[in-house]
Amino acid sequence: MPKWGMVIDLETCTGCQACTTACAMENNRLPGENWQDVLFYSEGEYPNLNLSWLPRPCMQCENPSCVSVCPTKATYKDEGTGIVLVDWNKCIGCKYCMVACPYGVRFYMDEAPAVEPDVRAEFPASGRRSWNPPFKMPDEYEDASKGIGIQPKGVVSKCTFCYHKVSQAPAGVADLDEDNPETKEFTPACVRVCAPKSRFFGDLDNPDSHVNALIAEKGGVRLKEETGNKPQVYYLSGGGSPAVPGNRSRRS
Amino acid sequence: MAMMTDTAPTSGHDTQGRGSHFLLHLIVALVLLALGGGYALTEILEFGKVQFNTNNAGIHWGMAIVTYDYFLLTSTGLAMVASLWHVFGMAEFAPIARRALWLAMAGLVGGVAVLFLELGAPLTALWATPLNMQFASPLFWKVLLVGAYAISLAIVLFGMINKPDAGRNPLMILVGGLALAVTLVAGLVYGMMAMRPVWFGGEIPVVFLIESFVGALAFTMFFSHLKNGFNHSNMRPDTRALFEGTLARMFAIAIALHFILHAGRAITGLWSNAEGMQVWGYMTAQPLFHIALWGCVALPFVLMVLPGTRSNGMMQIVAAALVMIGLLISRYEFIIGGQMVPMFKGTWAPELLSYSPSTGEWALLVLAVGLANTVYAFGAWKLGAEDRA
Ligand code: SF4
Ligand code: SF4
Repeated sequence: MPKWGMVIDLETCTGCQACTTACAMENNRLPGENWQDVLFYSEGEYPNLNLSWLPRPCMQCENPSCVSVCPTKATYKDEGTGIVLVDWNKCIGCKYCMVACPYGVRFYMDEAPAVEPDVRAEFPASGRRSWNPPFKMPDEYEDASKGIGIQPKGVVSKCTFCYHKVSQAPAGVADLDEDNPETKEFTPACVRVCAPKSRFFGDLDNPDSHVNALIAEKGGVRLKEETGNKPQVYYLSGGGSPAVPGNRSRRS
Repeated sequence: MAMMTDTAPTSGHDTQGRGSHFLLHLIVALVLLALGGGYALTEILEFGKVQFNTNNAGIHWGMAIVTYDYFLLTSTGLAMVASLWHVFGMAEFAPIARRALWLAMAGLVGGVAVLFLELGAPLTALWATPLNMQFASPLFWKVLLVGAYAISLAIVLFGMINKPDAGRNPLMILVGGLALAVTLVAGLVYGMMAMRPVWFGGEIPVVFLIESFVGALAFTMFFSHLKNGFNHSNMRPDTRALFEGTLARMFAIAIALHFILHAGRAITGLWSNAEGMQVWGYMTAQPLFHIALWGCVALPFVLMVLPGTRSNGMMQIVAAALVMIGLLISRYEFIIGGQMVPMFKGTWAPELLSYSPSTGEWALLVLAVGLANTVYAFGAWKLGAEDRA
């Protein structure tokens, strides 16, 4: 069984948001509600100013607090892949997982639009679908029990590590790399489009995987280790810890 | 135990004067229910909850959850107050036990109704929560315990309907125990969240317990005076002795404990440099915080500590009303404050998040008040809720 993980190299990431856009297209996201986002931070005041950025998918935690708090087990960790998923058939929309996720990566459907106009009103849908995007993934990929497809009303969604692709990868493969024709189709959309190749995806349980080599050789670190969530997303930042300024330190 | 009502001049719930008093209460409650429920339901059915001011940036639980927890904890506190007689045999509290239990049911119905309107898929919750056994989730336990509490409380009340001579009920051990458990677990729902510094801490269940109890004493006091037409002299001597003695003193002590916990947490929060705790700086700079702390905790404490005001009916009403309002503000500040620090939102949310309830969210509060009062007033009018207070 693989334990899929991601490595993001902050030294080469340009903050171009191609990953965010690819994810939004791949996973039918509402504008402005990005499962994968690149966050920008500014500290200080001109001329002593620092601008930094951080790509942030769901951390697919090893000890996910979102799973522990979910009263219905709608949020669960898939044993075959180590990916944290949401079963939309069991989600009651209590939003406890959103409260309990230290990385702020979950999205409830019944909120005011992040970006006007409200595309849900522009592209209305019938049945369970909350909207009918003009672009959308093929219907056969949709699986409500894994939170894949067009998010219904009243439930929470999050990044699935492109489960619909990753879960189809050949057994035993160590890395899913867009440059390898054999694994290209199974590589998560955000990894596949990253122009400077700052994102890597592979099996953290496979000692031969490239992601493990990167973490070991370049000192991969995880965000907010103090939470104990143990993310399966690692950051390379030239040896130091990734610079994510706290709200307090950013106050000028 | 001597059988008597706590109203001196009349007895029996169906006398002309009291019947019309409860009917009037019921009519006012139904009007509130129609206004609040009508607005909230129309908005939810027409637009969905996108009209609420909660958001994906970080304020996930808004006024609806504040209302739900406020009514739920008031309910459990009232069941604990009733347990003083039913479980611990404190005969002094017998005159108010029945009223406290009916108010507990009223609060529970009002709060749970709002929760059902807030949840994304309330019907799924009915089967998915009990069937999936997520023992690690405090919310799973809360739902289970609230269900058991509601059923046991309903059984106790059903047994009391129009039976004015009911004495101590052994089933109240279960109701009181469940009320205590619901209160503590409600605290754990927040207190366990290490990623939310304003909420995190083992003291939160205790804070909830104290707030639940002090709120229940305030509601008991207010509704007892309401039942007597806000006229202290209408009370029977034994009830008045309770109100001027043990109940008022207990109320003062509970308010003091509430003040200590509230102020203690604020001071700790202000002192701390830890990320997340800056919310305390924001909150204590707002007038609402001081209205709640000084106007709705300190002032009622003074009123209940000074012998002259403690035994004065009108001062008791004022103190009770202030505490009832103050607890709602405190619950609001606690729940919203815990979510104000954005988590990994970068420049999308560069400052502390802001929130104020939308009209629809306020309507849910009106709905809860209307529904709870409808249950209580109907109980008093037709089911003997006030036969033996
Ligand atoms: S980052 Fe949040 S949503 Fe993702 S697995 Fe961890 S706790 Fe769950
Ligand atoms: S919102 Fe859904 S997935 Fe999240 S904790 Fe509630 S039931 Fe679970």
